[in-house]
Amino acid sequence: MIPWATSFRYWVLIEMKMEPQLLFFIGKGGVGKSTSSALTSVYLAAKHYKTLLVSMDPAHNQCDIFEQEFSEKPKKVSETLMVKEVNTDFWIEKYLKETTNQIKDTYKYESAFNLQNYFNVLQFSPGLEEYALLLAFEDTLHKYGDRDFIVFDMAPTALTLRFFSLPFITLIWLEELLTLRSEIYRKKEIISKIKIAGREIEQDRVKAKLQTLIGNYEHLREHFMSDTTRVNLVMNNDKLSFSEAFRIRQKLLDISIAIDRIVINKVVPSENIERIESEFKDQKITRFPFLAGGLSGYAALTDYIAENDNSFQEF
Amino acid sequence: MTSLLKWLKAQIIEAFKISDQVMRGKAVETINQEVAELDNIFGILVLGAFIGIPSPPIHITMELLPLMNKEFDIMLEKVLTAHDPLGHLFSVLGID
Repeated sequence: MIPWATSFRYWVLIEMKMEPQLLFFIGKGGVGKSTSSALTSVYLAAKHYKTLLVSMDPAHNQCDIFEQEFSEKPKKVSETLMVKEVNTDFWIEKYLKETTNQIKDTYKYESAFNLQNYFNVLQFSPGLEEYALLLAFEDTLHKYGDRDFIVFDMAPTALTLRFFSLPFITLIWLEELLTLRSEIYRKKEIISKIKIAGREIEQDRVKAKLQTLIGNYEHLREHFMSDTTRVNLVMNNDKLSFSEAFRIRQKLLDISIAIDRIVINKVVPSENIERIESEFKDQKITRFPFLAGGLSGYAALTDYIAENDNSFQEF
Repeated sequence: MTSLLKWLKAQIIEAFKISDQVMRGKAVETINQEVAELDNIFGILVLGAFIGIPSPPIHITMELLPLMNKEFDIMLEKVLTAHDPLGHLFSVLGID
């Protein structure tokens, strides 16, 4: 798409005060997701878009790129740019604490007491890390929905794919559980009709909770598949990176998430990228030229953008 | 005479009510057992992690756990009586 048309599209979306544009940067470890997302955020902020950069990689490195400390609370880097780093441990701990409190309210003392032992182990359960990311993602959308752009610097492939597929897998489970629960409720209704002559039975709280959860996850799934969400796949022009990019695209297609753009990072001007262009015909392609010594510091990022303005035109 | 008839009528109605209740109770006995079994299956599906059975994504268990104290108790009770399934079946079918 030509640059002015892209800008016009953003202008329309933002002026109509729709939801923020979500840009995800995903890819193999070490290809430059953090650098690409930092550069894009700085570029958008310089264009006066209110931008929030969120590092979702448990091994954060935005602090190294911007040469300053970040935390759960967004920190202002420039007039329009804020950066935050998601702390998964904080989210897991918060979630477990809330659940424990709810259990104490409803369970018999002995059961609650016994459950406490399991809870100490549950924090190490597989699957909680991506759930913590999902909680952080929801929280970010809720609290910073007034931003024009929210840029997510994602973790390497495995965790990112689990994060994206979590709403889809969860929905499969929830729908099956709801079917079984509805069957149980229907039978209980039959019993009450015969036994207590048609008196209404108490509303099933588990069934109601399942329905609420299904609503929430459908909403999340729609978010991942909506026009305002765009997935940028970062790669380098080498064989390993290419093969993994190919697999990521396939895995995401399985859950109906399309890749919007390929960002080829560390490109040397004379390099041949035909193979990538022919394999990813449906995606826009952006090149970030190689810079010896890497990028660190806000000033270095703005200098790089000024020198390579063409690469950013379409963002 | 009228009071005797009234008393008799009340007695008949009472007897009918009791027999109605007994019949209704008998009619739902099996469904009741079936519901208890389904409750148990639901409990195992959601809370299986607590008795060593693979469970759904852990956050589903965590979301539903606070509301499932009844199923949790049923499941633990079933684990304790699991060594005598025939005894349980005979009691459901009313065989002494």
